[in-house]
Amino acid sequence: MTTATTTRVQTFIGDPISEETPVPRAELEEIFADIQADFRYDHELNGCLNCGICTATCPAAHYYDFSPREIVQLLWTENLEGIYDAMQEKIWACAQCYTCAARCPFGNSPGGLIMLMREAAIKHGMESAKNVLRPFSRVMLKLISTGNQLSPDMITADHFADWGPNVSKIDAPLALLRKAIPMPTLNTTKTAWEVNLKTSVELYTIWEATGVLDQLETIDENLFDVITDIMDEKREDWEDFLEEDEDENDDD
Amino acid sequence: MTTPTDSTLGERFTGHGAEWRDSNLSPTEAATATSWVEQKIDKRSMLTNKDRVEDVRDIMWQLEKEGEIVVHRVSEEHEPVMVKTLYGWDKKIPTTQLWHHKSCGQCGNIPGYPASLLWLMNELDIEYLDETDQTSCTAWNYHGSGIGNIESLAAVFLRNFHQAYVSAKAQGLPESYYYPLVHCGTSFGNYKEVRSYLMHSAKLRERTKQILGKLGRLVDGKLLIPEEVVHYSEWLHVMRGKIAERQIIDASEVRATIHPACHVYKMVPEDAIYDDDILEGNRVAVSTGLIEALGAQVIDYKTWYDCCGFGFRHIISEREFTRSFAIDRKIKVAVEEANADMMIGHDTGCITTLDKNQWIGKAAGKGYDLPVLADCQFAALVCGAHPYKIVQSHWHASSTETLMEKLGIDWQAKKAEFEAYLKQIEAGGEQENLYDPRRMITSGPGFKGIRIEHQT
Repeated sequence: MTTATTTRVQTFIGDPISEETPVPRAELEEIFADIQADFRYDHELNGCLNCGICTATCPAAHYYDFSPREIVQLLWTENLEGIYDAMQEKIWACAQCYTCAARCPFGNSPGGLIMLMREAAIKHGMESAKNVLRPFSRVMLKLISTGNQLSPDMITADHFADWGPNVSKIDAPLALLRKAIPMPTLNTTKTAWEVNLKTSVELYTIWEATGVLDQLETIDENLFDVITDIMDEKREDWEDFLEEDEDENDDD
Repeated sequence: MTTPTDSTLGERFTGHGAEWRDSNLSPTEAATATSWVEQKIDKRSMLTNKDRVEDVRDIMWQLEKEGEIVVHRVSEEHEPVMVKTLYGWDKKIPTTQLWHHKSCGQCGNIPGYPASLLWLMNELDIEYLDETDQTSCTAWNYHGSGIGNIESLAAVFLRNFHQAYVSAKAQGLPESYYYPLVHCGTSFGNYKEVRSYLMHSAKLRERTKQILGKLGRLVDGKLLIPEEVVHYSEWLHVMRGKIAERQIIDASEVRATIHPACHVYKMVPEDAIYDDDILEGNRVAVSTGLIEALGAQVIDYKTWYDCCGFGFRHIISEREFTRSFAIDRKIKVAVEEANADMMIGHDTGCITTLDKNQWIGKAAGKGYDLPVLADCQFAALVCGAHPYKIVQSHWHASSTETLMEKLGIDWQAKKAEFEAYLKQIEAGGEQENLYDPRRMITSGPGFKGIRIEHQT
């Protein structure tokens, strides 16, 4: 007797015929409750007649086993197993262009709903989310520690081999090329522009107050440690500056 | 069973479920069906067939009246120009005293993009401030990873726009003097979406108010909301006549395709500018209006509505998707159908994606080499900006040189000038800047206050 190939649904949800499921019903309900709890949910899901305009116009549907119509239907019909399954892979196919949202006659935003599902995947520490986001860690490191999402030193021929052999058509050291940009804020290599120390410290307050650091810790503990070390250092620098500034003002 | 494959087009469609069946139309039938669809849907009306559209600014004015928020107005000192948006609503575009909200992707990767914009502003004698006290909008990371949330996005929006509001104090000028001008399309779309959620949710306002209070970034104890969220392409649009007056290079032989950016006009589409005189009002007006004003031929093409393939996460870790989409759905069509000399965009990720992803096409026998530039870079070029010092064309992977040749620009001579300039800087010589570098720090380490005289 041959064994049937395991489908993705069986892997993540279990055998639909069996009464036992690897994911407890309570967990599925908790995940869906988290998605629904975001106040954007009701704004972005108003109904669905399965017209498929969203999928017809979706760039990701050209290349992946992905359909925004399916995502909307899963949420609209509260198909908890299907939602969980879609959160393993499909939600990460979306290119976030919002063409679906612009075109939906119901005013749904499948792209926006997918963001709520991505946030929930992170909150619940899904392995699939961790795997998908691993290559994105350079962007997260840069953004959370500096306030810039991209820096000149991230664009190298090694990292983007498919962009061609030269990052610049003029062969010169990066720092020199950056100095030749006529905007003084851009004479940098480690950040896209020079970021004021106060700005970074304010951003850290925002990360802490809004739970972004908790998200990061859930998804990548090592990256969280690196980033919090950088934050501590910059905060100390800021405290030092404030003390020096106060001393100077006292001298005046 | 019929497989979901159309062998004549070589395309395979997925994502429709197991019940999908090929319609098996003949090429003639397919062309007839397509042309019917294009007549019906390739129009602005496709975006306006909604029942529940509201102008979020109505809620904003009401909240201000009730004393809950303060609105940063586009006032007379900003010399606004009125434009019409998707539903014919008015939008006020400030034209001077502008605070540059930079784009991390532009500044990090396509520095000639912001430099060209500032150069045009210098040419037009526009007051502005480019400073270090600003963060990215953080929305690229959010849309790519899901790290972040509506509260963090809203707090960043409110923080950066508050800084724009108070920034002039460092120059001895009043609050509200500078008005924020957003460079990145994703920042623009994200900020508009966030503003809308802030207007709708008292809970979000309350939570962000606590954070902004902690940062010392409330105005009279209230959240500060911008009257308009303005993209730089909108500034170019209303200034296009004045820019064209300064044009010194004829562009009439150039065939241009425009790539409208998704986050500029599909996110919060009711706020995008449309003009009945620009492609009959069926396309977003920005960039197209400018390129037409500069005398180039704007060529419509069948995949104008498609995204570029950037995908936020995809450009980093699903590059097969990004480059396939960019080449097959955009560049190939622009070259083969529109016979274009260039593609013009108005957003960070699009310019990067469409420009950088052509090189690898050679590996698949798709060796296209279409120059890709931002609208302001092209405008600066034809107004006489230096192709390397200002437009910084050396960062572009696509063949900007062929475009320059078509425009009659001796790019080799200009390149030699730039290389000599690099040597000069390397030897410790003076850098050429678009503004006084002392202005860029408005507080904290390195701040040296300088007083700017009000020009009006």
